[in-house]
Amino acid sequence: MLFRPSADDLRVIGRYTGKVVYAVGVAMLLPLVVAVGAGERNDAYAFVVGASLAITVGAASQLLRTRTTLDAARGLAVVGSAWLVAPVFGAVPLLLSGHYASYLDAYFEGMSGFATVGLTLANDLDHMARSVNLWRHIMQLMGGQGIILVVLTIFASAGAVIGTLHTGEGRGERILPNITHTARFILRVVVAYAGMGMGLLWLLLWRGGLEAATAAYHAALLFTTAFHTAGFAPQSASAAFYRSQPVEVVLMVLMVAGAFSFALHYQLWQGRRGELSRNLETRTLAVSIIAIFAVLAVGLGRTGVHTDFGGLFRVGFFQTINAHTTTGLTTIPHRLFVTQWGALAPAMLVTAMALGGMAGSTAGGIKAIRIGVLLKGLRRDIRKVLLPENAVVVESYHSTTRRVLRDDLVRGAATILLLYLLLYLAGGILGLFYGYELTLSLFESTAAGATGGLSVGIVRPDLEWPLKLLYIAQMFIGRLEFLAALALGGYVLSMLRGRT
Amino acid sequence: MSARPRGRAGGRADKPLRRGRVLLGTLVAVVALAGIVGLAEALRPPPGPSTIAVADERADLRAPLHCPTPAPPDERDDDAVSTLQPARPPVAVSSSELLDCPHSFDRRRVRYRGEAVGGVLRREGGAWAQINDDVYAGPAGPLPGHRSYRGHNAGIGVFLPDELADELGTVGGPGAQGDLVEVVGVFRRVDPGSQEVAVIRAASVEVLRAGAPRSDPPLRDRQVAAAVLAALALATAGTERLIARRRERG
Repeated sequence: MLFRPSADDLRVIGRYTGKVVYAVGVAMLLPLVVAVGAGERNDAYAFVVGASLAITVGAASQLLRTRTTLDAARGLAVVGSAWLVAPVFGAVPLLLSGHYASYLDAYFEGMSGFATVGLTLANDLDHMARSVNLWRHIMQLMGGQGIILVVLTIFASAGAVIGTLHTGEGRGERILPNITHTARFILRVVVAYAGMGMGLLWLLLWRGGLEAATAAYHAALLFTTAFHTAGFAPQSASAAFYRSQPVEVVLMVLMVAGAFSFALHYQLWQGRRGELSRNLETRTLAVSIIAIFAVLAVGLGRTGVHTDFGGLFRVGFFQTINAHTTTGLTTIPHRLFVTQWGALAPAMLVTAMALGGMAGSTAGGIKAIRIGVLLKGLRRDIRKVLLPENAVVVESYHSTTRRVLRDDLVRGAATILLLYLLLYLAGGILGLFYGYELTLSLFESTAAGATGGLSVGIVRPDLEWPLKLLYIAQMFIGRLEFLAALALGGYVLSMLRGRT
Repeated sequence: MSARPRGRAGGRADKPLRRGRVLLGTLVAVVALAGIVGLAEALRPPPGPSTIAVADERADLRAPLHCPTPAPPDERDDDAVSTLQPARPPVAVSSSELLDCPHSFDRRRVRYRGEAVGGVLRREGGAWAQINDDVYAGPAGPLPGHRSYRGHNAGIGVFLPDELADELGTVGGPGAQGDLVEVVGVFRRVDPGSQEVAVIRAASVEVLRAGAPRSDPPLRDRQVAAAVLAALALATAGTERLIARRRERG
């Protein structure tokens, strides 16, 4: 039975959503400074408009008086509403830049940024103002870090429920007992990788012919995309623009690091390198990457495009890592997935995107832990069948500690797997309705739902608007791993149909 | 999923919302959203000259591909270029033709025209440049100077030997329209030297139109709106802080 929520319920949801909106407004001040520095005057005013709107709404929402505490259900609704509302404001400077045909396109871009997807509806990206392109990447950074976690940790007013919000954003368990300490640890990891990654990229790009300042700008944007397993790029040609193997290697390292859970980063930070080989997730991810690349290589080899293994490995392995970590950078024009890659190799990219990275990382998709748990559950069931009836079969797995495989865990993993498959299928079916081939339609739909970001070209500014809306919904639901989206849906339904 | 009316910290349960208030709240949210969208639409850059005639060459994935028959191995042009032998006239191509039918043009001498964008990336023996042949490289020019939206950029990577790389002056990017160049060279779907995919190795390059910096006229209505909204934001944030402090004291 549904009960209609009280005004206080909505006030507390509005208040916390408002904090996130406020933070989005404050975040726009950085591209504003860049716009002023780069002489992009009209864009500077665009950021003033966007930031002012967000700060006004965010501050006004803090005037909502409530003594209600934020519990788990309301917390999940806050996560859902904040992820829907943040792109409303994030889209304003995008639309004002003049590179988007409509507000819907700008909102799509905002959602794609916050959800770290990387599908884009930008027209003429190669002439886009630096500040606007930077804003696209800042949205990725905010989304990758979990805007709720960052904002509420800064405001430090949500108490113990931040953990629920953390989970609602598709993040896993806490790394440290205190969520604020967890956030600080995550920040340390990001800063460490940023220092190394941006430094290396800057050096390679500068030596590769870009001016020092331009190289620094590209390095910052590329790091943001790769480590947050997003997909926007400074240039329309994506990573192919740089024509550099060393750059691709650095990007792959950053993508893999981004697809590692922060819990694993913590173990490595503590010097426990053995975790890499024992952890169920890293083992599942490694086996999956190797298997998918092997099949992809066979598929690509059969097309006869690459005559030597070196070239095939370079292109195929980058795309495998890129798809499996749900990043979305490419080293080839996306049209070639259709015209040059045959059928098997793109199917492997779809599989890789669908599976995704680790839980508790910036990656999307079903997640390696769920696949690992399901495979362990399957092995346990097979052993049960083969052993005598009265035998007690206990299956365990390692994820920072040794854990016993429980039925509810397997059931939960199976449920999420099923939901993701339905999510991918939904976009695939609507794509079919609009006349796209099944393979292409599933590719794009999986890219949106798994936050994979690779594209075969269906996502483009003149895409049919129902498909735009569906991809937006897929990005939102896929990024939040259903729970927060379902909680918000439950609130909306109870407002409309609930009993008083 | 059910949403239950929850008690306040004090223990008194709140009354569920009446349907009328739900509708009113929804209306307010819709009006607020419409206001934001309307304001953003009103402050967009002006449409620009309406005389720009742009052919719609956007690729549709649903349309069947009609690719020319690939040249037989003995008629491919790659060796002709490398040994500087007289070669057949190059085929004029666009990036969409090359990417739609890479096998048809593999190792063929092609003539390709477009705008150099992003940068010139020096490598041993030459440099890489991205040459876009989309509508923004043509007479319409870059956004946001107009509203002839024709989608993503489209282009091809071109390798220019050292002596040709210096021909490129201005590259397109934020605030600049790059040189419009015509390149003649051999298209490779996989370049044997660099392993780069779908690129042209240039044998000649000609600058058809020199690039130039570009500036958009200031938008007065946006400046006024920014000033008013900034004042409103400061006032709201200030009021909220003031009230919050009073609540903390009281």
